[in-house]
Amino acid sequence: MKPAETGRCGFCRHFRNDPVFLEAAIPGLTSFSSGTASVMADDGLCLRHDRYLSARACCADFEAARD
Amino acid sequence: MSASDIAVRGSGSRIGWRELWLKEDWWAIWLGLGIVLIGWILFAHGSDSLKWLAVTPGKWTSLDQLGQHFAANFPRYLAQGAVWLVLFGVALSVLGTRLSAFVPSFIFLYVVSVAIFAVGQWAEANYYNLEPPLVALLLGLVISNLIGLPRWMDAGFRVEFYVKLGIVLLGATLPFSLIVWAGPVAILQASIVSIVTFLVIFWVARYLGLDRRLAATLGAGGAVCGVSASIAIAGAVGAKKEHAPIAIAIVILWAIVMIFALPLAARLLHLPTGVAGAWIGTSEFADAAGFAAAQTYGSYAGTVPGIEGTADQAVWAFTLMKVVGRDVWIGVWALVLAIIATTRWEPAEFGRKPDAAEIWWRFPKFVLGFVAASLIVSWIARDFSLADYNKLIAPTLVGPIKDLRSWAFIFCFFSIGLTTRFRGLAQFGPRPFAAFSAGVVVNVALGFVLSVILFAGHWSSLAR
Repeated sequence: MKPAETGRCGFCRHFRNDPVFLEAAIPGLTSFSSGTASVMADDGLCLRHDRYLSARACCADFEAARD
Repeated sequence: MSASDIAVRGSGSRIGWRELWLKEDWWAIWLGLGIVLIGWILFAHGSDSLKWLAVTPGKWTSLDQLGQHFAANFPRYLAQGAVWLVLFGVALSVLGTRLSAFVPSFIFLYVVSVAIFAVGQWAEANYYNLEPPLVALLLGLVISNLIGLPRWMDAGFRVEFYVKLGIVLLGATLPFSLIVWAGPVAILQASIVSIVTFLVIFWVARYLGLDRRLAATLGAGGAVCGVSASIAIAGAVGAKKEHAPIAIAIVILWAIVMIFALPLAARLLHLPTGVAGAWIGTSEFADAAGFAAAQTYGSYAGTVPGIEGTADQAVWAFTLMKVVGRDVWIGVWALVLAIIATTRWEPAEFGRKPDAAEIWWRFPKFVLGFVAASLIVSWIARDFSLADYNKLIAPTLVGPIKDLRSWAFIFCFFSIGLTTRFRGLAQFGPRPFAAFSAGVVVNVALGFVLSVILFAGHWSSLAR
């Protein structure tokens, strides 16, 4: 992990962007799209703020995910 | 690597090269171009193995005739089903799908798809409106909404993966010169409709008091590429958790309505197939839904009196308009809206700087496979006269690829129905529905004017 990347949502324990989780969490996603489509890039759900956003976003509530 | 690894190990720093095996767009390219290249090698060695494998039910008039076809070709169907099972199984297992769920699910999908294909080949099918896309969709909807299948079976109902593979294979049947000739008009027409549709939905949504991020998510769903656009823009603008499901539910409802409404309207107006394909490409909301509508209309060519053109023209015009004209711009939409969201709507909240590379990250990569397949087959055919092309390349290379494409699309159409559970969709109020519907009205009317009046000559003469 590069130093500049720490603090980004993609490394936060509140952030989930694995396709299986997203397909279960977003009703209808698999009807005409999917969790593994390129257009989704690395977006995911922030379970703390209930927002759907980029893994490159960041906020003051960041908590590092455990490896 | 399991799907959960993607979340905790480094996707925050972009997926990077791992996209080559962790995104279905690339797998559609690997499988599609792999089929094209193997077909070329077999063709170059004088083999017709691809033709043997790409078996489809022929036209039939009696059940005896159909039974004889299956009795004679049973090993071919068995081999084809096994090849699909292996190809999709490898790809989907890398993408995180459990093989123990995929295998029985896909066997069910394949067996029913064979039956749907056979029904569509009945000589009287068009008379009774039994076009395969519509039969597949309706049957899937009945099964998923009235009978119900266990959720784990969704492992084999991969609508988007199948349609992307179908589009890559479609590229192999589309001359590259046609993409160059018709592409600019498609981009111009699609851009006009996309921008107007987005602005109508966004402004009506804001007028009705909806959140700006929901308005943008709805607008993109109507203007660009349906569910995929809604989810992409939701991420770009940092939408609330409930915004994307609301937009997705409304897009799905309208997309399914349009699968039936657009071919019906075009049929009543006796539009040429190329013109109808362009209209569907402009006014349908999802690739998979649009292919169902365009393929349905294409099947009217030569069977419904008064409808001029060929089946290919409907599908080609749709593809150029939807894929080349609309889908490829999703990254640009995402970048522009991300800039607006982070500089004007909520500059401090999530501290993210928009990056021009977003255009590439969100680019629907399967389009590269579509163009590459077209280039490869156009290059193979470059020294053949039309007569030799029809005698040599069409029956042993392009024809079988077209048949395999038909299978991929049937898997897709059936999967749409099987995965669309109306009770499982997000609840939405009248305001999001009204805003999106305003865009639908403008989109359909503007798409009609551009396809049927302004550019009618262009689309009706496509590939003639």
